[in-house]
Amino acid sequence: MSGALERRPGPRRRPALGYDERNAAILVFPVVAVLLVVAAYPILYSFWVSLHDIVLTRPLRRPFVGFDNYLRIFDDERFWLAVSRTTVYTVVTVAVTTLLAVLVALLLNEAFPGQRILSALLLVPWATPSVVNGLMWKWIYDPTYGLLNALLVQLGLLERYRAWLGDPDLTLLLIANAAVWKQMPLAALLLIVTMKAIPDDLYRAAKVDGANVFQRFIHVTLPALRPGLMLVLVYETMISIRHFDLFLIMTQGGPGDASFTLSWLIYVETFRSLRFGTGAAMSYVLAMATFLLSWALIRWLGKRI
Amino acid sequence: MSNHAILPSRRQALAGLLGAPAVLLGLPADHAAAQAGGTVSFIGWSAAVDQVRAQISAFERATNIRVNYENFPWAQFRTALVTRLVGNAPIDVSWVSDAWLPEFAEAGWLADINDIPQLMRYNAEAADYCTQSMTYRGRQYGLAYYGDHMSFMYNTELLQRAGIAAPPTTWEEVVQQSLRIKQQGISEYPLLLSLAADTWLIEFVSALTYAFGGRMVDDQGNAVMADANRGSVRAARFIREAIATHRIVSPGAVETPEINGLRAMGSGAHAFGIVPTYRIRALNDPSQAQAHGKIRVALMPKGGPDGTNATLGWIRFYGMTPGAKQDRARRERAVRFMEFFGGRDTAGAYSMQKLLLTDVGLPSCALPVNDDADVKTFWDRWAGGGAVIAQQATLARKKDTISPWFGEWVETSNQAWQAVCLGRAEPEAAMRTAAAKWTELRRAFR
Amino acid sequence: MAGRPIAPRLGRALLLAVFSALFVLYVAGPVAWLVSSSLQTEAQITAVPPNWLPPELNFGNFDAILNAAERQVTYETRRQGDPATGGFLPSGAANLLPSLWNSLTVGLWVAALNLLLSITAAYAIAVIDFRGRRATLYTVLATRVVPDIALIVPLFLVIRNLGLINTLGALVVTYLAITVPFTIFILISYFEGIPRDLYRAARIDGCGHWRALRHVYLPLSLPALVASLTFAFLTSWNEFVFALVLTQNVAAQTLPIVISGFVMDFTTSFSFVNAAGVIAIIPPVVMAVLFQRYIVSGLTAGAVKG
Repeated sequence: MSGALERRPGPRRRPALGYDERNAAILVFPVVAVLLVVAAYPILYSFWVSLHDIVLTRPLRRPFVGFDNYLRIFDDERFWLAVSRTTVYTVVTVAVTTLLAVLVALLLNEAFPGQRILSALLLVPWATPSVVNGLMWKWIYDPTYGLLNALLVQLGLLERYRAWLGDPDLTLLLIANAAVWKQMPLAALLLIVTMKAIPDDLYRAAKVDGANVFQRFIHVTLPALRPGLMLVLVYETMISIRHFDLFLIMTQGGPGDASFTLSWLIYVETFRSLRFGTGAAMSYVLAMATFLLSWALIRWLGKRI
Repeated sequence: MSNHAILPSRRQALAGLLGAPAVLLGLPADHAAAQAGGTVSFIGWSAAVDQVRAQISAFERATNIRVNYENFPWAQFRTALVTRLVGNAPIDVSWVSDAWLPEFAEAGWLADINDIPQLMRYNAEAADYCTQSMTYRGRQYGLAYYGDHMSFMYNTELLQRAGIAAPPTTWEEVVQQSLRIKQQGISEYPLLLSLAADTWLIEFVSALTYAFGGRMVDDQGNAVMADANRGSVRAARFIREAIATHRIVSPGAVETPEINGLRAMGSGAHAFGIVPTYRIRALNDPSQAQAHGKIRVALMPKGGPDGTNATLGWIRFYGMTPGAKQDRARRERAVRFMEFFGGRDTAGAYSMQKLLLTDVGLPSCALPVNDDADVKTFWDRWAGGGAVIAQQATLARKKDTISPWFGEWVETSNQAWQAVCLGRAEPEAAMRTAAAKWTELRRAFR
Repeated sequence: MAGRPIAPRLGRALLLAVFSALFVLYVAGPVAWLVSSSLQTEAQITAVPPNWLPPELNFGNFDAILNAAERQVTYETRRQGDPATGGFLPSGAANLLPSLWNSLTVGLWVAALNLLLSITAAYAIAVIDFRGRRATLYTVLATRVVPDIALIVPLFLVIRNLGLINTLGALVVTYLAITVPFTIFILISYFEGIPRDLYRAARIDGCGHWRALRHVYLPLSLPALVASLTFAFLTSWNEFVFALVLTQNVAAQTLPIVISGFVMDFTTSFSFVNAAGVIAIIPPVVMAVLFQRYIVSGLTAGAVKG
C-alpha cells in the first residue's frame, strides 16, 4: 500500500529511481505550469502587499513594515470578533453538512425504487448558483412575504411573523443553513464514491459474524468511509472558513455585527477601508489557519486503519 | 472492455467542445468597435440603464465616438471599480458617489476638471450644493449625474381613514399619528424606516440627525455625533423608541434594504416613510404600486427641541480618470462624453438630465431643467406638484461625514446604529463608539 | 416463523420511505418554492399568506427571458420608469441567455481540462514513489487556502497582462486554478484505495506509467472521475467574485453575474429574479439527469471489489 495521504511504516520498494522521478515530473508538470501562471503570482503578490503599509487613499506612502500589519491585526478587536463569528459559522456548517451527507450517502447507497430519481435530485442544490441560493433563502426568511413565517404560523408554531435575519442570535445559523443546503450534495457524493469502493465481502463477512445493521455501520462502513470523510472535512472546512458570497448577498455583516466573519472583515478592510496592507495580512492569517486545519485533518484521517 | 470505458465518452465530450476555442481566446469585443472617432470607456452601476443607452446612441450619432459601456450592480460597483482602478484598466469616465470623492481623489483615481473650461462653465447653471459635493480641497472632480435628497412621504389614504387631517410636522406628531393608525388596525407598522446595513443606512440616519437639529461632524471636522443634546443621539433614541416602545416601526427594519422598504410603501403597508425623493414616481405609478396616486411629500418633520426641516442631500457624478486626462485624444473624447451626459448635448439641450428626471424621477443639478415645462408637468403628475420638493431641496445638506476615511468609518457607524435598533447598545454609547472611531481615523490620517 | 424475514424487510422499506420523503422535502422544497413563485405575478407572490402554488400559471417572466431580443436602445425605444417596484423587466433580460451559454462553455472547458490536468498529477503523487510527493500535494492544496478577496486585485493584474480581460479564457484558467487542487486531492484519495498489487502486476507485465494509468487506474476510478467532472463544472457554474471583476459585458459575463444584476439592485420584480434563478438551475440538473447513472448507480461492478 502506498500513498501520499498516509504514513507508511516499514520498508518500501523503490524501483528504477530515475525512471519514476522523471515520469513523476512529466506528469505533475502541466498542473504546476497552470498554477504558476494563475495562482502563484496572486498569492505571492498578496503576501508582498501584507508586508507593506498600503492604504490606497495615501498612494505616495507605502513603506515596508515587515510583520507589523500582522501584529496590528491581533490588537484589533474586530479581528477577534470576526474570529469568533467565523468559528461558530464554520463549526456549525461543517458539522451539519457532514452529518447530513453521511445520512444521505447511506440512503442513496441503498438499492430501492426511486433511488435514481433521488440521486438526480441531489444535484439540485449544488447546481444552484450561490447568488441564487442566497436570494432564495433570503426570500424564504423574508419578514413580510417569507415562506418560513407563513409555514410556522399555519402550523401554529409561531404567533406572528418574525424578522428572522434581523435577529442577531439567529442570523449566523440561518446563513449556515443556506450554506449547508448547498454544500451537502458534494459532500454526499464524495462519500457515495467512497462507499462504492467498499468490497461487498466485508459486509458478507460481518453478516456471517452476526453483526446487525448498526454494528456493520460502525465496524465496516465507517472505517471504510475514512478517506471520503477526510475529503469532505477538508473541503468543507476550507470552503466554510473562507465563505463570502452568502454574507455579501444576505446580511452584509449585519444586523449589527452578527454575521461579521473574517472573510467579511477582509472584504471591508480591503474594498471599503481601502487598507490593502492589513487586508492582505488578515487574508494570510486566515490562509494559515485554513492550511493548518486542513493539514491536521489530513494527518488525522488520512491514515489507513 | 472496462479498460476503455472512459475513452469514448471523453472523446465525444472533447469533440463537442473543440468547436469553441475561437470563442475562448477571442479578442475582447471592444476591439471591433474601435473606429475612426475612437472609443470612450464608461463604467456605471446598473441604474437608468435604458436612459444611458438611449443617450449613448444619441452621443454616438452626434460625435462618431463609440462608447464602451459597462455596468455593475450597485452593491458590487465599488469593488469592481476599485479593482479596475488599482489594476489600471483603461477606464475613461465613471459614475462616482459623493461619499467616495475624498478617498478616490486621495488615491489618485480621479482627475480634476478645473483646467477644463468646457466643463467648468456648467457650474454657473448648477445648484450650489451639487458643485460643492464634487469639490474636494478646492478642486472640482466632475459633472453631476443627478442630485437628490431624502423626503418625508405619507400615504393620504391611510391618513384619511384614520381621520387625520394634515400630515405631521414634528416627529412627536409622527409618533402620535402612527399610534392612532396602529390602534385602528390600519397599519401594523405605520412608519417605514429602511435600516439594513448597506450604503443607504448613513443617508437615512444623517437625514434624521439633521431633522433633529444636529450634525454628525461640525464645520471644523470634529465628531459631535455623541453630544447628548445634538441630533444623532436624539435621532437614535427616537428610532429605538419607535421600534421597542411604540412599536410603530418594524423590528425587521434592520434587515430592510431601501428597495424592500420602497416596495412595502408602494403596497400601502405604511403611512409614513423616509424615502429618496426620486422614488416618488415609482410609488405613484399604477403599474408599479398599489398605493399609486396616494403618496405625497411633506417637509421633513422637526425632531426634538432643536428640530429643523433639514434633510440630507446627495449627488452622484461623472468623474474622469487621470489616465484619460493625460492622453490628449482620450481626454478630448472623455470631455465630450461628460459634457453630453452631465451638461448640454451637441444641440445645446440638457437632454440627459431631462431624460433622467422625466423617465426615472432623478432630480437634476442643472437649474434650467427645473424650468422646463415637461419637468413641471412631471412633478404635477407624479408628486401632486413640485413645490414641497423644491422647498425641501433648499433645506438639503450633504453628508458632513464625507472624508478620506469615510469608507472605514461608516462600517463602525452602521454597526453602532444597528446595535441601537436591536436594543444591544444605548444611543449615547453607540454614538460615542462612532465618534471615537471618527476621531481616531481623523488623527491617523494626518 | 415464515413472517420473520418479512418484518425486517418491511422495516427497511418503511425506513427508506421515511428518509426518502425527508430527503425530497429538504432538497427539493426550497427549489419548488422558487419554481412556484417564478410562475406567479408580483402581486401573487407578495400576498400574505403566500400562494403555495400559482393561482394560475404565468409564464411571463420566462417568456421575457427566452424571447428577449437584443435591441438598439434609443430615445424612441427606451423603457421609461424606475424599474424598482416590479412589473418592469430589467434591460439586462436579453443578456441572460448569452450568459447562460458563456457559463456552459466555461463550465465544460473547465470540467474537461481540469480532469486532464488532475489525473496525471494525482497518479504521480498517489502511485509513483518520488521525493517530495507529500510536499507536492501540500503545495498544490496550499494554493487554495488564501481567501478569494485577497486574490481579486492581483489576479486581475495577471489576466490583464495576459490580455484576457473579458474573455471566457480568463475564466477558464482562473477556474482551473480553483478546481485542480481539490480534484487532485479527490483522485489521490481514490487512487490510493486501488489495491497496489494491480499496479505491481501491471509493472511486472512491462507496463510503463502511462499504460498503468490508462489500463489500471482510470477504468477503476470511474466514480471518482465523474465526481471530479461534476465538481469542476458546478464550481465554475457557481463562481461569482472572480467573474465579476474579470468580465465586462455580455461577451464573457456568466450567469451569476447577470443574475446578480437583477438581484442586488432589485431593479426588477422578485418573481422575475426567481425565474432567472430557475433558469440557472435547469442546465446542470439536466446534465445531472443524463450523467447520474455514472455518478451513483451502475458503478457497483468495479474491479476493486474483485
